[in-house]
Amino acid sequence: MRNGFSADRWLALIVLAFALLVIFVWAPMDTDTGIVERVRRKFVIGDALGPTVAGAVIAIGALLLLLRPGTDRALSHENLLWIVALCALFAIALWLMRYAGPVALAWSESGYRPLRATAPWHYIGFLLGGTVLVGGLTGLAKRKLSIRDFAIGFAASLVIALMYDLPFDDLILPPNGDV
Amino acid sequence: MGVWDHVIAGVLAVFQSDPILGVPITVLMVLTGFLLGITVGATPGLAGPMAMAISLPILISIFGYSNDALLPVLGFLIGIMKGATIGGAVPAILFNTPGTPDAYMTTLDGYPMAQKGEARHALRVAHFSSASGDTFSDIVLVLCAPFLAILVESYLDLPEKTALLILSLAFIASVIGNSVGKGLISMGLGLLAAMVATGEDFYPRLTLGQPALAQGIPVAAAILGVLILGEVFKALEDIHRDGQSSSTTQVGQRESKNGPFRLRKLLPYIGRSAVIGTCIGALPGVGSTLAATLGYTSAKRRYSKSKEPNAPGFGQGAPEGIAATEAANSSVSGANLIPVLSLGIPGNAAAVFLILAMDSIGGFNPGPSVFQLGGGISDDALNPEMVMAFGIFTTMFVANGLNWTIGGVFMRSVGVMARIPKERLLPIVLLLTLTAIYVQETSMVAVWITLFFGFVGYFMRRIDMSPLPFVIAFILGGNLEATARQAFAATGADPFFLFNNPIALAFIILAIGVVIFSMRKPAE
Repeated sequence: MRNGFSADRWLALIVLAFALLVIFVWAPMDTDTGIVERVRRKFVIGDALGPTVAGAVIAIGALLLLLRPGTDRALSHENLLWIVALCALFAIALWLMRYAGPVALAWSESGYRPLRATAPWHYIGFLLGGTVLVGGLTGLAKRKLSIRDFAIGFAASLVIALMYDLPFDDLILPPNGDV
Repeated sequence: MGVWDHVIAGVLAVFQSDPILGVPITVLMVLTGFLLGITVGATPGLAGPMAMAISLPILISIFGYSNDALLPVLGFLIGIMKGATIGGAVPAILFNTPGTPDAYMTTLDGYPMAQKGEARHALRVAHFSSASGDTFSDIVLVLCAPFLAILVESYLDLPEKTALLILSLAFIASVIGNSVGKGLISMGLGLLAAMVATGEDFYPRLTLGQPALAQGIPVAAAILGVLILGEVFKALEDIHRDGQSSSTTQVGQRESKNGPFRLRKLLPYIGRSAVIGTCIGALPGVGSTLAATLGYTSAKRRYSKSKEPNAPGFGQGAPEGIAATEAANSSVSGANLIPVLSLGIPGNAAAVFLILAMDSIGGFNPGPSVFQLGGGISDDALNPEMVMAFGIFTTMFVANGLNWTIGGVFMRSVGVMARIPKERLLPIVLLLTLTAIYVQETSMVAVWITLFFGFVGYFMRRIDMSPLPFVIAFILGGNLEATARQAFAATGADPFFLFNNPIALAFIILAIGVVIFSMRKPAE
């Protein structure tokens, strides 16, 4: 709990501002039909009504929260740092997943694309990205990186890759549908 | 064709499905799902919906999108749903750690019993109560869902159906969580997400000019992100903050002795909790944790009046406490399909994944029309959706049969799952979820969208806003808009179509009433 203006009231104000933005800016500007349209001399509901109603529900929720704040839980600095750490880890792991294969085969004449369905090349990105993702997340949670966690990450990635790849010919592992 | 023709066709659809090793595939899938569910339920940090979410894309890869896929896939998911509830009691009794949130009350008497060397007895009580509550709930489902659906289809027209959807959403937003305001915000955000690129016009609305959103937000990406990834992020941060995953104190089953199984004493507690759990389960948005709490509290009051002088009190190892909790939380699983099958409204996370499966595979649209004889075409024709509904009921009773026969033996053997550290398990669950999304959508954009919704789910949990209204509104948003459009057109563009009809008006007044009434409850 905080003194003065509580966290829930701040949340309500921010959400209310967002709801007003949806109702008066986003919905009118990013839809091609209005709230109600006249089509062949008949009135029909237009595409803007749904988003406007959604915005109104959000606004009502914000007003109720403003009137009656709940448990008043706020995001802490630790929460935000945790999110930053997760974002950094996902960026690295997914970058590796996406580009490790093409980088590994950059020396070859054909490049990665013709080999993206051929073992072992099509596993490179997934195994490397998956290992970093699992090992890194475990390390983040334990506050300590260890080779053992990365080894578990590699084993888990390999099992998942084989589980999808071996029995199903038509399934594509990440990132091979994008390259 | 009469109702019994549909019932028989539904039962045959399960038992005459393609056999594997001589066992019909649907029965085999229920068995596999059930065993997996017990294992998952016995693993703290995992939960039934998590396993359902990860399994769904794999199941669709195996069975495809044909009508034949529906019963095996739903059978597997129903098996997980039922298995997870019974599995959650295992670590609660042996390790004082609930495997699923609804098993928390089981720890109160289960663990003290285990400490006294009565772990096996406690597990037997938990299993018997869970199986009884589950069976009772399924019987109520079979008896109620068709009648409710027929009632809705007979008396409710488009404006009333629109009002009913609004009432359901208002109820869910109001009863879940501690704050009505946050519930409505969560619901509004879900409706907004459902509106992205889903209008009737050629222009894809609310996409901010992003081609990646032109096809709308992938349903699985949003739901798995909010429900699974959000929970994983939060759980890992809890471990990061506390230094280690919650320690478990094992009580070996070796030490345990068999106490007397006093069925006659337990039955009133089981019966009362089964009724409570079934009533709670039939209401959209009210989960099994509340059912378990109410069942336990009600049993505690009764027990304090009838307790023998030497018997242990509630919280000190009373088998009646385990019986009340387990019967209540297990009886939610059947009843929560009443709103799903009769109204098309998911009441909890497990029901969300069942609807997602039906939606992904196609050929079955849960709602009032499911139980229409002749499918609205001809009285002589079989309604394939009604056959499918009775097939689903059959899979539930198959799961019940498995629960009564092998459930008890299997649950006693999965205690070891509680030893797997969460910090190692959850990152693997996350990778598996992202892979499942990619396999389904074949695009890294879908992975990024899933991560985005994972952060949305994380923030919601951190500010004490339930993500369930978001998910349910996201699923129902399209349906609500389509029904409202039809109702508006059918009433000759009457802007007051929700207020001109007495039933619709009653639903709207109830929706407003439930919000106001929920505002009055004290914040916890």
